[in-house]
Amino acid sequence: MVFSSLIFLFAFLPVTLVLYYVIPNRKARNWVLFVLSLIFYGWGEPVYILVMLASITSAWAFGFPIAKYRESDRKRARVWMALSLCCNLTALLFFKYANFFIGNLRLLPFLTERLSPIEGLTLPIGISFYTFQIMSYTIDLYRGETDVQRNYVAFGAYVTLFPQLIAGPIVRYRDVDDQLTERRETLPLFSSGVRRFIIGLGKKVLIGDACSRVYEYARGTAQFHPTAAAAWMVVIFYTLHIYYDFSGYSDMAIGLGRMFGFRFLENFNYPYISSSITEFWRRWHMSLGTWFKEYVYIPLGGNRAGRLKQYRNIAIVWFLTGFWHGASWNFVLWGVYFGVLLMLEKTFLLKVLEKLPRVFRHLYALLFIGFGWILFSFTDLRAGWACFLSLFGGGVEAFSTPVVGYEFLRALPLLAVAAIGATPLPKRIWDGLCGCDWTAEGAVDEKGREIPVSDAPLGLRGKIFGVLTTVLCAGILLCVTAYLVDSTFSPFLYFIF
Amino acid sequence: MKKICNLATAVLFSVVILCFSAAFALLPDNAFSDEENRVLAQFPEFTWERLADGSFSAEINEYFADQFPARDLLVGVKGVTETLMLRGENNGVLLGRDGQLAVRRFKVYKSRLEQTDDMDYYYEDTLRLNVEGINAWAAENGMETVTVLPPRTVDIASSAFSYPDEITRAMHGTLAEGFTDEAGFIDLLPLFREKYDAGEYVFLRTDHHWTTLGAYYAYREIMKAFGMEDEILPPEAFSTEEVPDFYGTTWSRAGYKFVGPDVLEIWTAGDEERFTTTCLSEKMEKGEDGKPVKALSAYRSFSGWLVRDYLEGKDKYGAFLDGTHNIQTVFRDTEGTSGERERLLILKDSFANTLVPFLAQHFDLVILNLAGGITDASRYAEEFGTERALIVYNWENLITNTNPASLR
Repeated sequence: MVFSSLIFLFAFLPVTLVLYYVIPNRKARNWVLFVLSLIFYGWGEPVYILVMLASITSAWAFGFPIAKYRESDRKRARVWMALSLCCNLTALLFFKYANFFIGNLRLLPFLTERLSPIEGLTLPIGISFYTFQIMSYTIDLYRGETDVQRNYVAFGAYVTLFPQLIAGPIVRYRDVDDQLTERRETLPLFSSGVRRFIIGLGKKVLIGDACSRVYEYARGTAQFHPTAAAAWMVVIFYTLHIYYDFSGYSDMAIGLGRMFGFRFLENFNYPYISSSITEFWRRWHMSLGTWFKEYVYIPLGGNRAGRLKQYRNIAIVWFLTGFWHGASWNFVLWGVYFGVLLMLEKTFLLKVLEKLPRVFRHLYALLFIGFGWILFSFTDLRAGWACFLSLFGGGVEAFSTPVVGYEFLRALPLLAVAAIGATPLPKRIWDGLCGCDWTAEGAVDEKGREIPVSDAPLGLRGKIFGVLTTVLCAGILLCVTAYLVDSTFSPFLYFIF
Repeated sequence: MKKICNLATAVLFSVVILCFSAAFALLPDNAFSDEENRVLAQFPEFTWERLADGSFSAEINEYFADQFPARDLLVGVKGVTETLMLRGENNGVLLGRDGQLAVRRFKVYKSRLEQTDDMDYYYEDTLRLNVEGINAWAAENGMETVTVLPPRTVDIASSAFSYPDEITRAMHGTLAEGFTDEAGFIDLLPLFREKYDAGEYVFLRTDHHWTTLGAYYAYREIMKAFGMEDEILPPEAFSTEEVPDFYGTTWSRAGYKFVGPDVLEIWTAGDEERFTTTCLSEKMEKGEDGKPVKALSAYRSFSGWLVRDYLEGKDKYGAFLDGTHNIQTVFRDTEGTSGERERLLILKDSFANTLVPFLAQHFDLVILNLAGGITDASRYAEEFGTERALIVYNWENLITNTNPASLR
């Protein structure tokens, strides 16, 4: 099930909220979340519930010996941890990557006949996300950074928690372990969650999907009349589409979490205002970056083992980051592309950039982020290369055609809204008018600590804008419903990971 | 105050989602949408297999969208929002001057396996294939053939939109040059554009069809092409009935609820009761030698060519010839005339339905639905002894299927 569907908004969510809040008991509430999350997950492909339950059960069970031996016998604890990780990664490797490896091995002449792809193997949704979440528990447990979770339902609820189950953010166990048993649902937290959820919904359905339609159209024209203008539209609107789609999803996840008393870490921090690729990756899909840093980069030695090793570590992390996004060469290349850029920036580029005027730094960052999205969106590398060449007039019929020009003009208002909306400006202005931030309740810093909310009283303008905020949210919800009713079903991009 | 706002947000949100879901659960399902003129999705059949393979959950999304409370209102909200965003179109339908609507995006056809949704460009090969199909059939059918290809609204009414006519020009170029003399191609684009730009009501604003006046102009061109210019009936020969409040298919797709209706005109010469329309279907029957043969049998017939029931409902255009049938005949009784009239074979899509009343004044008509895939025309020509052939096929059909290419 996806958040931006009528069945989620008007069947699953009301039922879940009612069941959750009529039950006063914490333990029983975890049961509600666990069971309903399984239904949420199994909605499209119920079979894969079993895969997920197997992963959960093994990690939960292996948690006991890890906790038991982690102080007395490190070696033994390490074996148990390795076993647990193996179980999890095997499921991920098999379901996500088996056919990729088979397909590539079949390119070798003597294996073409002997190997055949496994039929009917489809990717269980969200497996990349929940596997990483489970691994964070196992590793943190071994490191002594968290305690063993004895309650199966609480642990199950952590993994399956429907707000972040299928497309992140990747919530580390230690960031929410207390909340699993001791969270407090409050009115300010709930309504802050509602607002955050509706903002995310609007970002995804009203802006993200609209950008996607322009992108699809521009991409489609290439097979009729390839033009440079259409190729630029592909880059621009895909760049916007994926941001609104994915960050909208994270907003919804964080908002839903708050409705049930959880406080999740942020996943996006206006990535497109970055002035370098290094900065971009500190602002984009932060929970994934943190995960790789914590569980791969630092264990490998990070930047403390000399320059050469640091570059090796960067290479490994970015190869894996790319590969995590999909079992296809374009994703691997996409990861490697950013790995190389980050290394270049580390060696000299950042120093050069610092001397340039700000606007050039932004242009540089946006341009290379955009080129990256070409790699990302074209699974067919040849088509992606053709699109890239088209940007600079390679293989095009003309710079533009009248119809492509028309489409671009008509998409300009959307482009303006989307571009401004990707900066902190609208939020800053609105918060200024309100005299407060209506989505502040439930925010946490990068360590998971609550950020205190000021309870300064509102002035007259603040009161008026407080009411307007509610009206605005209702308006967005109405619009989103209208778009969902009148459109075919549009799933999330990050659904396939 | 903060508390009040928080409470308001929480309550409003809960009430909205609970009310919609309660209304959804309690309101009875609709079988049909008049506004959209289509059958609505019903609650999908539940089996464990269907749940396991995902088809149940896929269909329930459609069910939710189709049966959602206040669906028509919400569809209108989206139309307004898109207009406020200066998009100029909604669901692939352009909004032009004076409420003129035109479909811009089509499902263009490359092959059975490859079709591109929501595209205004078309596959030139598909169009050429259709042109050549018509040429080839016209060359060997032994009948005097005329080909009339009604352009799409977006081609005719281009002055109502800021949308460029690049694609219209490309298609027109192919069509204007592609036909052999035998195909008897009549180029309607310049004529209809001229009339449209002069303010004549030749194309409907809310539907993809031409008006009855538009059909009349096409009829005149067809008669000229058949060399029967002298027999053309003047407009004064018909009395006009106006059916108001016609909201067409383009309107349904567009979701621009603020666009007003069309008027559907019905032109009658006063002798309708002399005509009989018969709908036929072909079944396998046992022949004389015991082998199965195809045989035509009538399953519906009515006097005249108009079914008035449609005029009360949404699909008013369906009043002409009772909507879509694969094989139809419109014959006039022979009373008081000298025997049988000449027979005309019409290979058509729905544009022909408004042409029929005019042509029926001159010919007995055998009508085959080419858009519905009836392509073995020569066989029917032989069976009914038709002497002339007329192809009426809209530009949209020429780029979204290859039925004319399979004519035989």
